[in-house]
Amino acid sequence: MFEDIPVEVGIVHEGERIRQQQMHVEFGGPKVPNKFELVQMKDPKEVKDGKVTVVGKDLADFKVGSRTSFALILHTAGKKMEKDLEPVLERRIHDFFNYIQGVMHLNQRYDIWIRVNKDDVKKGLTLEHLGKITIQLMKQEFKFIEKMEAFIYTDEKEIESKIANARDIYEARDARARTLTDDEVDEFYGCILCQSFAPIHICVVTPERMALCGAISWFDARASARIDPEGPNFVIEKGEVLDADKGQYSGVDEAVDEKSGGVTKEIYLHSMFGLPHTSCGCFEAIVFYIPEIDGVGLVNREYMETCVNGLKFSQMAEQTGGGEQTEGFLGTAVEYFRSKKFLKGDGGWTRVAWMPKVVYDAIGDYIPEEFKDKIATEDVKNLKDLKSFLEEKEHPLAQAWMKPAEEEAPVEAPAPAATEIAPVAAAPGALMQVPAGAPVMTLPAATVPAGGGFKITFKNARIYADKVIIQKVKE
Amino acid sequence: MIIAVSGKGGTGKTFVASVLVTQLRKTFPEAAILAVDADPDANLAFALGLEMSRSIGDVREQLLAEKDKLAPSVTKREWLDGQVFEVTIEGPNCDLLIMGRPEGRGCYCSVNHLLRNIIDSAKDSYDHVVIDAEAGLEHLSRTTTRDVDTLVVVTDQSLNSLKTACSIRTMSNDLKLNVGKLLVVGNKIRDGQADLFQSKAQEMGLDIDAIVPFDEHVTELDLEGRPVASLKEGSPALAAVTELGNSIFS
Repeated sequence: MFEDIPVEVGIVHEGERIRQQQMHVEFGGPKVPNKFELVQMKDPKEVKDGKVTVVGKDLADFKVGSRTSFALILHTAGKKMEKDLEPVLERRIHDFFNYIQGVMHLNQRYDIWIRVNKDDVKKGLTLEHLGKITIQLMKQEFKFIEKMEAFIYTDEKEIESKIANARDIYEARDARARTLTDDEVDEFYGCILCQSFAPIHICVVTPERMALCGAISWFDARASARIDPEGPNFVIEKGEVLDADKGQYSGVDEAVDEKSGGVTKEIYLHSMFGLPHTSCGCFEAIVFYIPEIDGVGLVNREYMETCVNGLKFSQMAEQTGGGEQTEGFLGTAVEYFRSKKFLKGDGGWTRVAWMPKVVYDAIGDYIPEEFKDKIATEDVKNLKDLKSFLEEKEHPLAQAWMKPAEEEAPVEAPAPAATEIAPVAAAPGALMQVPAGAPVMTLPAATVPAGGGFKITFKNARIYADKVIIQKVKE
Repeated sequence: MIIAVSGKGGTGKTFVASVLVTQLRKTFPEAAILAVDADPDANLAFALGLEMSRSIGDVREQLLAEKDKLAPSVTKREWLDGQVFEVTIEGPNCDLLIMGRPEGRGCYCSVNHLLRNIIDSAKDSYDHVVIDAEAGLEHLSRTTTRDVDTLVVVTDQSLNSLKTACSIRTMSNDLKLNVGKLLVVGNKIRDGQADLFQSKAQEMGLDIDAIVPFDEHVTELDLEGRPVASLKEGSPALAAVTELGNSIFS
């Protein structure tokens, strides 16, 4: 299909690096300020199909070893073409350029970096050829493209006059991508990179829920699944919406069941109670439930001090990680705090009471206005002070316990304050085996998190008791 | 051809590695050669007479620090791709990649996974790769291509460095590296002490494949921070490593 092109074109040439000694000319790259590539959808009447216009010097006109500004603009039209597909096509320029023998392409948008080697120029390769190859490969790959026209610029002035517009377009697209929601896409992605550490853990990555490590966004996972479908990232069809607020999907449950080896059957993407998402070991932050206020605190991995519940990140991390479903502790990416779906099933920001200042500063712009001054940071060091703080700021959580006596919430009511230990409130259930009919607990190791600045660790304990009562001491 | 040079710090493995690179260039004038500095305590760039650049470690830290600032549709993989290329030093005789410090706190699983793929595929575009690897062989254990044609273990006359040489040999088995040939090189061996050194090594179960004599020219070079290329032809150490190189390349 490329009989008039003087060099080979094919996927075998992908990944070929053109080193400085081999290159004839370098377009863009870190040392050249003006460079970009852009795909734009146009009215079919404005697109001259297959035409390539070159403005400025051609490949052979450059001295060996030179570097210069560069721009590639593709106009396209088709009945099924959509504005949202522009970036999808644009991303493929990278691949298609790399298919060309002796051509290397890195990055995208205003960061592109292209090298053409000496042999190609000797064989007579021209910029027009690059345009023709790109158009042909695009049409072959995307059948909805009916027309495509290419404009290639090496003329500095032309590029300078066009780059501002390109930047505006990229920014508009980014703004759009940042607000992409779970509801707008059909596919989520799974990640099992951490299964070497947490063999039953699987991360479900959605536009509104980044992987716990904070390193894999929905876009990253999508790209990775396309490059290597057998690799650690894979497509999860959303399936049926089972609970819109908590974020439960039939497709997600199926994938989690399969990839956890049947250990985890169902999960909520946006709730930390009932069927929470599991956590590996490398979450950036922990959301922890504070029973005394029926609210939550957030803490980042770098925070070394004791949190408001009397526990340190490292202590809570033991509870959180390992791939088991643990109610009350949720490992997340810091980015998840910026999500509109953040704990949506649990009341979202109405439940957040505490976080270190460094987290507050990092996500401040995303905290709803009405809660901004109602959230405590490390100035508040214990639960007593936290309660006073929340009362003083009229946090919605405080309204629950400040209501008149007859409506008093169970948290402070005298009777339920005495808790029977049988299902220990927040201990990891999977570690406990309670033989039926016998009041015996066998604990290989269990830590009972406690709010008052202490923790109780049972190791290889066998406890015989008719009843264990943990009584809250009245202050 | 992939050659890894390892040994206890201070034994002169960076010297050996850089002479091998120079020798490769002379033997294969048209070949694409990549040198990898995989020892945070070494300085292969200096020895090769190249300007320092940012390391892979720096790139990794930068990504973790600035990942929230990347455009949402720019994937980390492609960002890293570009960065790895950007920090690759392109010298007249070889390219050089500096691995840098190991990671700090936080989760590096995904970043390391990506970097591994990128570096592995980068290696494929070179005809010959020479790796200056620290004694823990950490870099080699982290790459997916574990094929090393020749592993050169450098030791000097000290008992400690001989012990390290033994443990490197054990480790290359434990890490399931696919090593074609393992060569033990005694470096900085004083006049008249070669026999004593070799019998000591033998006691420890090490066969010494080559002896590189102590050489004042190299000591001077080290002290002045000059590249290996400035060594004069008469240097006995240079001659010995050159001979070693020829036996590896042929």
